[in-house]
Amino acid sequence: MAKRFGDVVALDGVSLKFEPGSFHAILGENGAGKSTLVKCMMGYHRPDAGHLLIDGEARTIGNPRQGHHFGLGMVYQHFTLVPSMTVAENLILGSPGLPAIIQWDRAREALEQFQRTMPFKMDLERPVATLAAGEKQKLEILKQLFLNRRVLILDEPTTVLTPAEADQILGLMREMTRSGRLTVILITHKLREVLDFAGEVTVLRAGRRVGGGRVGDLTRDDLVRMMIGVAGVPAPAPRVMTPDGAVALELEDLTVRNDKGVVAVSGVSVRIHAGEVVGVAGVSGNGQRELVEVLAGQREPESGEIRVGGAVYARTRAEMRRSRVFALTEEPLRNACVPRMSVGENLAFRNFDEAKNTRGWLLNRRAIRDQARALIARYRIKTPGPEARLETLSGGNVQRTVLARELSDQVSVLIAQNPCAGLDIGATAEIRGRIMSARNAGAAVLLISEDLDELLELADRIVVMFEGQFVYETPRDLADMQTIGRYMASHA
Amino acid sequence: MVLFGAFVAFRGLDPFEVYAVLYVGAVGTWFSIQDTLTQAAPLMLTALCTAVPARAGLLVIGGEGALVVGGVATVLVGVALSAAPAPIAIALMCVTGALAGGLWVGAAGALRSYRGVNETIATLLLNYIAIAIMNHLVTGPIRDYAQVLKPASWSVGERLMIGDMPGTSIHWGLAFGVAACVVAYVLLRWTTFGFAVDILGGNVRAAQIVGLPIGAMVLVTCFLGGAAAGLAGTMEIIAVHGFASSSLAVGYGYAGILVAFLARQNPLGVIFVSILLGGISASGGLLQRRFGLPDAATLVLQGMLFVIVLASNTLYGRLKLFRSGGA
Amino acid sequence: MQATTDLGWWGVLIAVIGGAIRVSTPYLFVSLGETLTEKSGRVNLGLEGTLVMGAMSGYAIAYLTGSPWLGALLAGGVGALLGLLHGAVCSLARVNDIAVGIALFLFGTGLAFYLGKPFIEPVAPRLPHFALGAWSPYPQVRAALEINGLFVVGFGVAWLLLWGLRNTRWGLIVRTVGDNSDAARALGYSVPLVRTASTMAGGFLAGVGGSFLSLYYPGTWNEGLSSGQGLMAVTLVIFARWNPVHCFWVSLLFGGATALGPALQSVGITANYYLYGAAPYVLTLGLLIYSSSTQRTLVGAPSELTINK
Repeated sequence: MAKRFGDVVALDGVSLKFEPGSFHAILGENGAGKSTLVKCMMGYHRPDAGHLLIDGEARTIGNPRQGHHFGLGMVYQHFTLVPSMTVAENLILGSPGLPAIIQWDRAREALEQFQRTMPFKMDLERPVATLAAGEKQKLEILKQLFLNRRVLILDEPTTVLTPAEADQILGLMREMTRSGRLTVILITHKLREVLDFAGEVTVLRAGRRVGGGRVGDLTRDDLVRMMIGVAGVPAPAPRVMTPDGAVALELEDLTVRNDKGVVAVSGVSVRIHAGEVVGVAGVSGNGQRELVEVLAGQREPESGEIRVGGAVYARTRAEMRRSRVFALTEEPLRNACVPRMSVGENLAFRNFDEAKNTRGWLLNRRAIRDQARALIARYRIKTPGPEARLETLSGGNVQRTVLARELSDQVSVLIAQNPCAGLDIGATAEIRGRIMSARNAGAAVLLISEDLDELLELADRIVVMFEGQFVYETPRDLADMQTIGRYMASHA
Repeated sequence: MVLFGAFVAFRGLDPFEVYAVLYVGAVGTWFSIQDTLTQAAPLMLTALCTAVPARAGLLVIGGEGALVVGGVATVLVGVALSAAPAPIAIALMCVTGALAGGLWVGAAGALRSYRGVNETIATLLLNYIAIAIMNHLVTGPIRDYAQVLKPASWSVGERLMIGDMPGTSIHWGLAFGVAACVVAYVLLRWTTFGFAVDILGGNVRAAQIVGLPIGAMVLVTCFLGGAAAGLAGTMEIIAVHGFASSSLAVGYGYAGILVAFLARQNPLGVIFVSILLGGISASGGLLQRRFGLPDAATLVLQGMLFVIVLASNTLYGRLKLFRSGGA
Repeated sequence: MQATTDLGWWGVLIAVIGGAIRVSTPYLFVSLGETLTEKSGRVNLGLEGTLVMGAMSGYAIAYLTGSPWLGALLAGGVGALLGLLHGAVCSLARVNDIAVGIALFLFGTGLAFYLGKPFIEPVAPRLPHFALGAWSPYPQVRAALEINGLFVVGFGVAWLLLWGLRNTRWGLIVRTVGDNSDAARALGYSVPLVRTASTMAGGFLAGVGGSFLSLYYPGTWNEGLSSGQGLMAVTLVIFARWNPVHCFWVSLLFGGATALGPALQSVGITANYYLYGAAPYVLTLGLLIYSSSTQRTLVGAPSELTINK
């Protein structure tokens, strides 16, 4: 199967076979193509090439409902349950042929009978909103089974679960495949899940199948090697060494909850010195987003302290200015800009109220425009002019705009998150160069990235984030890809 | 306009004749122009009560309550200062009215910032509470029993009223209204505060990432909006009636919401839209006399306009798509 | 009539209860309608305009046909049409349903005043009532226990709605659309369609509630008929935590609070009449403050409601 999205090849001729009653894991990092593969299978995307064979017959699945018709079901990372309804109501909601007036006694009987055949039970009358994440995930699975799906695709189901809950769910799945009633396809980036539960595994990297087979025949190191590849380690970028730099950014025992109330960052501590880049490696979904949001002032931590230059940092504008803290987030249009304002205005977000851009209380729009022109030239932002709305710019130029805004002055602390995501090679090199310049001029940089190559090129130290914790640290020079890869996918 | 034409045609009238009368009633004679501007004056101020917080991303509908509160506060101050020199008393009355309105809506802003209370419902409720308080005061503690037509408060007295602008029969409220809109425009477009408000209204996350004080900004914009509407209440007292009564709550606040939306929350646009709506209201009287169309017809027209403007918001998006799609 | 038997404070209580029963009916109908609309994930602030239109059209039809029940029914029809308009406009992209509600509030009110001018003078037949208090020698008690027809209907509708939301396919669909519209779409339902249908049904109920005002109490048509009951209903629904039967009890509470002023007047306490009138609004605001929080959304609210986000 093959699929392209514009210039990006998401899937490059991947072929897989799933035996009935098997527990097949698909392992890979971000961007490996796992999600794209299953979305093609379920009918969310149309593959550009390739066939899908069910029970030996070629089928086309144009939309998820057709997939359901063939017995394919998928459990997503986000819940498709209705919070205010009970377990029972959610279960019967998707039933085809639901009568206009629901006979609850008959429905309950059917549900009870169904539950008797399941290895786990749920209280039918509980409102879904009161269920824990693990129970919600169980309910999603129950729902698929109630609707008689024979092949169940689980897309990174354990990101929202505690380790204990994850074990329980995966154990259940394995039991059900052993009894032959279900075929399970598990998408994951976690080695433990593959090694402890799956029977077969396929490893994807950059859209291709790079290995696989029976789990029993493969070692952990085999899997890691396949997942992250044996390509040469990129050369480190030229750098100025700053011995004995002061601690510029310090996180102490930081704990953060996500929108659903689950702990996403758990007791993270790190010290970053001036003139140093600390790279945070990890597959997305392990708490990186919440960590950046806290540092950017978009979320409040539950506990722990953040110190910049020795003083407690409360993310106020005055502190940002005084301590020269800047940020390059992912998805800049969503997180750091106002799309409908002009390029020039967006460039002035940090300093529109400084003396050079104001006359007393009044905005000096001419000064802002001049500043914009200078920055547009210096950073080569492709735009019809400073008055153009930011949303009319391409992705790369939006990121250049943010870069221009954040890095043009002296930087003491820089938080960068996947700064080059989705950009072409030229823009990527440029941005990495600017980050290094900032570092060489004395900035402390916290670089969170899903791209291991990027980290190896830029970082002085690499930390691995897994399930909300910093589980491993190594100086760049001693970095061993195998070990890092292992920690990205497990606790040890 | 076309829909309204269909509407009156349904009643058996020639739409073009009605349009003509609308025109005449609004701007045809000096009298009607003055009438239009008089009707427009309070709208300019109450519209700011919705427009200013809207720029920060809030939906405030509390203009009615702020106007009433401002009016009552004005009367209290005016009566207390009845012996003071006129310019001082008048200035203080204006300040009080604005302050009262500002605190009233500002309270809703505070509830939003620090308690997460939805500001639309909060300001709506505050409207009714304000009207109830006014009714209570006007029929009781501050009632002037010499007024027989309907319950009314003590009057601030002829001396302290500013009445109409010289040479016209348009009251001073118009001048204040235009001035307030201009000030609001300058504030929002030309000051650093206004720039910060634009960021907040454009994308909360961007405002957060550059460290803007969001809670305080919500409070201030609500206060400013309420102050404008409160000033409208002051005008109703010192330029029109002289005393407080149920005539304070005749819907200027709600019409202001309409004006703000039609003007796309732009204070300069508010000036023109207020005049437009003022014209419609002014010609209402003429329509009534000529065709027997009740003046409620103007309410209908206003409502229709509002609905159409809101619906056309979608086209705004689509038209843009056309333009950038070709690039 | 008996010699004026001064019941003292009992009189106040009885008057409040009677007032609660009487005055709660429009609150009940509008809140039931808004509950249904909000369960599907939409807020309709235009119900005030619908209420007034319902009052006017109900009165007009009753007068023209001689049947108050027909008037009530057609008032509902008018309400449904306004609900359709609200739903249709909100179905367009990028339209804020709160703003549309305010627009329709102005439009509906204006339209009602405009079309209703000829009906201010004539007298239309009233809706019937059940004299449950006929046993009492006290006129106050008799007056209080006059249960009007619509009250009974409303009570029935509340239970019907509660049952329907739990036991019919449509009820489940409405709740899904309002709580997790992605799930609804995944199941193949058209979210705008369901919301518009709910808004229409809500408008129908609000229209009927409006007809109560003109056809029973106060029982005439004029331009001062409504005092914000339609807008209050939105907060009433929050208070009732989106449960139809709770709406019934909360409406009684609001009705009683509204009747407190006149009740106290009847025993000679005329001071602070308007302040008592403010009681429902203050109560609602207090409740809103209590149940709001910067961390959570309102408890029990359908997740797709705009006032929640």
